[in-house]
Amino acid sequence: MSCLTHKFDELRKIYPEEIKSSMVLPLLQLTLKEKGHLTESDAVFIADYLEVPSMQVKEALTWYTMLYRAPVGRHVVKVCRSIACSLCGEERLIAHLANKLGIKPGGTTPDGRFTLLEVECLASCGTAPAMQVNDTYHEQLTEEKIDRILEELS
Amino acid sequence: MTSRRVFFTFEITEESHLLHAYRERGGYQALEKALREMQPAEVQAEVAASGLRGRGGAGFPTATKWSFLAKGAPVYYLCCNADEGEPGTFKDRWVFEHSPHQLIEGMLLACYALGVRHSFIYIRGEFDLSYRRLMHALKEAREAGLLGDSVLGSAFSCQIIVQQGAGAYVCGEESSMLSSIEGFKGYPRNKPPFPAVKGLYQAPTVINNVETLATLPWILAKGGAAYAKIGTEKNSGTRLFGISGHVQRPGMYERAIGYPFKKLIYQDAGGIAGGKALKAVIPGGSSTPVLTAEDIETLTMDAEAVAAAGSMLGSGGVIVIAEGTCMVRLLQVLTRFYAHESCGQCIPCREGTAWMNKIVARISEGRGVAGDIERLEGITTGIMGNTICALGAAAAMPVASFLIKFRHEFAYFIEHGRSLNDGRLEIKI
Amino acid sequence: MIELTIDNKAVQAEPGETVLQAALRNGIEIPHFCYHPCLSIAGNCRICMVRIKGRPGFHPSCNLPAAPGMEIESDCSDVNAVRKSILQFATLNHPADCPVCDKAGECRLQDYNFKYNGTPSPSIEPKRRQRKFYQINSRIMLDRERCILCSRCVRFTKEISGSGLLGIVERADQSRVERLEQGGVEDPYSDNIIQSCPVGALLSRDFLYKSRVWYLEPVASVCPRCSRGCSVEVWRRQKQWQLRAPGADKNHMAYRISARENPEVNGPWLCNQGFDLHQVINDSVRALAPRLAGAESTLQDALAAAQRLLFEAEKPAAIVSAWGSNEELAAFKSALGSSLTVYTRADREPEAGEVVEDQLLIKADKNPNSYSVEAIFGRRPFAADAGHDVVLVWGDLVDYASLGSAKVIHLATLEPAAGRPAEVLVPISTMFERTGHYTNFEGKVNRFEQVFEKPESVLHAGDLFGRL
Repeated sequence: MSCLTHKFDELRKIYPEEIKSSMVLPLLQLTLKEKGHLTESDAVFIADYLEVPSMQVKEALTWYTMLYRAPVGRHVVKVCRSIACSLCGEERLIAHLANKLGIKPGGTTPDGRFTLLEVECLASCGTAPAMQVNDTYHEQLTEEKIDRILEELS
Repeated sequence: MTSRRVFFTFEITEESHLLHAYRERGGYQALEKALREMQPAEVQAEVAASGLRGRGGAGFPTATKWSFLAKGAPVYYLCCNADEGEPGTFKDRWVFEHSPHQLIEGMLLACYALGVRHSFIYIRGEFDLSYRRLMHALKEAREAGLLGDSVLGSAFSCQIIVQQGAGAYVCGEESSMLSSIEGFKGYPRNKPPFPAVKGLYQAPTVINNVETLATLPWILAKGGAAYAKIGTEKNSGTRLFGISGHVQRPGMYERAIGYPFKKLIYQDAGGIAGGKALKAVIPGGSSTPVLTAEDIETLTMDAEAVAAAGSMLGSGGVIVIAEGTCMVRLLQVLTRFYAHESCGQCIPCREGTAWMNKIVARISEGRGVAGDIERLEGITTGIMGNTICALGAAAAMPVASFLIKFRHEFAYFIEHGRSLNDGRLEIKI
Repeated sequence: MIELTIDNKAVQAEPGETVLQAALRNGIEIPHFCYHPCLSIAGNCRICMVRIKGRPGFHPSCNLPAAPGMEIESDCSDVNAVRKSILQFATLNHPADCPVCDKAGECRLQDYNFKYNGTPSPSIEPKRRQRKFYQINSRIMLDRERCILCSRCVRFTKEISGSGLLGIVERADQSRVERLEQGGVEDPYSDNIIQSCPVGALLSRDFLYKSRVWYLEPVASVCPRCSRGCSVEVWRRQKQWQLRAPGADKNHMAYRISARENPEVNGPWLCNQGFDLHQVINDSVRALAPRLAGAESTLQDALAAAQRLLFEAEKPAAIVSAWGSNEELAAFKSALGSSLTVYTRADREPEAGEVVEDQLLIKADKNPNSYSVEAIFGRRPFAADAGHDVVLVWGDLVDYASLGSAKVIHLATLEPAAGRPAEVLVPISTMFERTGHYTNFEGKVNRFEQVFEKPESVLHAGDLFGRL
């Protein structure tokens, strides 16, 4: 945990002390990057560091969908299923991915390589259909494009 | 490019988002002029003269919102709402990826006008390129003395802190955003008190959309009166209209307010893919009531006209739906969205969005029963106006409007257990 | 004062009051779940919506500042239609548990449902299942299916008790009340959330399934477990629901305790020790028979023996009880105050694990009437070496060894500890068996009413003093 505290201290320089509570989400996101997923202990650790109520951080942890609370694969494939992408073939593509990876949306491949998720609007409506793999956006998708993207990921 | 453009004023290159490119096209001159020659109240007056209305979706006059700010407080905050999450909307992304300095300059102008020294940008946690380009632009701005203590050597100082969202559409609602910036789950807040009186950390706060703020440099450079000449009398200026769905050339188009829907769809976006007929248009993001092809025949893209037609110009995200699309299945995509995004705080939205989704899902799976349409209508009535924030209404309006315009499809699906169309959402070409 | 009308009735509001507060204070019932006068405004239940004449839509009255000239409509068909909608949503997934739910009979959801939504649910969806026995702590159980997420319990632990134990986690219709699993502290005020829960979600494990509330009635009393003297209600069976054998012992049973609102002493709150008062009432081993040197006797003989001991004593003393009521203390003073050397004591000391004192309600003095004792008799701990030959001890939890070699006349409610018996033991009544007054640490006088009849073999101490 101590190397995390060091990173926390760096971030703390940006925030005036009277608004230190604003660091809750950034610290959760920072910890998520380090650890891959978060538990209540992580929430309590952050709460103690910031001297804010533990329950405040716990509630935040459970409320935001990007804060994973269970281990995910090395690559998280997030396919947008909102209206524009649905009109442009999301159903077809998620079926393709599910078939190719051998898992249902929500699941992780047995080798731990991929987690497949359906997410809501990625604001790529003009370049639909779209997905996000880890941080990277991939837009105007086709089955072939998806296959190529997956191949390049270890 | 014509001077009637605020955003599409340059050729997009690999470098157009960088500081030097922004300066080459006149960037930061408005800020310089404001700091050297204008008082904050004069900046506010220019904005008032422009008639600028918020670009986030609600369309509230910006200068009026600014004027609500409580006077004489020790601290003021400005929050830039960059949590672009309304399905069909992707314009704020455009600003981050191609002209982030335009937003920064706009924020600085607003902070100067309002006496704000600490401001925030709350940006979608999912945004990748947008975030990286924004952070780079902030770095450039700091290094160039455009941000921080003593902006451009003046007495005005201003900081911008970027907070990333973490996957919640409701955080685009201004009071939910404040909760999130303060380090809580994004529960919206009851009003009163309003953010202009007690907002972020109980200080008077203004929340503006990215596009709204990024319009300010143009207004200050060319004058509010010049801006007011563009668009319509009550709804001035241009907007970054996005068009998506079943069109040939989906994407971003900056047009003056008052531009005809048909022109955007058929001329700019190349018409319906596969040469199909137009069936329906959702004019301003998924929360706005759906319109039929007839409804938009002569309709123009301005707030008053669209309101008169029974919908809203909203976030300017036009979603085009072609003949043959199953409106029942399409509605289920929407109800699923709102049920997922409801924050859970208040009874009508928490229960109502989940309930509507269950009913519409059941109908779209062929298990609809008599009374389902009436049930849905009752739920929308029970939600609208009775929730803490507008997400309830945003969830109810699509349901209500789909049932008004396409009731026969729902009745058919319920009676026959299958779609009136082939059930597809994608166009078969 | 702010002048407004609610349903055409002229109402005055204090500056800063909301419409809901003004209405409730004026006896106008506007339904509400999440609003609580001592907690922050949540505004999440939406059932307190009213109409403002001249303005469109409806407004939650709990968050609506009263303004001069406002005309509020709260009793019209439009507003009732909104209430009905809200109740339809609130009961959408609420289990039809009334037949097995402890809250029945004192449940707001039931009451409002009857009043504002007397129709079956329009829903045909299966109800959402949730965990029905979630342990909040060893005392409180949460049934998540019944919870309407009003957040009163969360706000209480955050704003009043400060334990921060509870929160609402997850989102949308997966939202649920949960406790901190890690680093959660014991909350000595936890049971207040049972009382403030507007539905049958938070239940006392102690009271679970013990009785239907309509067989019971509350009796106003005062908690004697510390010198705050919180106002409480002791719940007993109503007279017309008294049981005949078998079960007659239930007629003398305290079923549960609730906090009684007293703005000057405890507000609407009580600590867990107070909530456990009924266990003290029910489980205490009473001294029931008069005894002479440990052997059972009659009241007449015991009193005669006590009188003789006192009359023949060279240096008699008495120790008064800090559990004596104002009336009893006055009777003692007038009957025996001048003929005996009077000492005082703190009958009860804090027990292991008990919170000694805090910023909220709990006081370190674990006795209800030290204030009156001190006012009448001063503070004078008994001196074992002062050479007293006879001591009249009034009160419980006495160690006779601390009295030196004196002979002991003991007026007690509880069976004394095993060991050397007192020369005379006279059983006396508890505070719950008579009416009286206590004065708390701040000098506030609080009245307690009789809850039960005293056992026949027991005397009221107040009657006794004159006979000694």
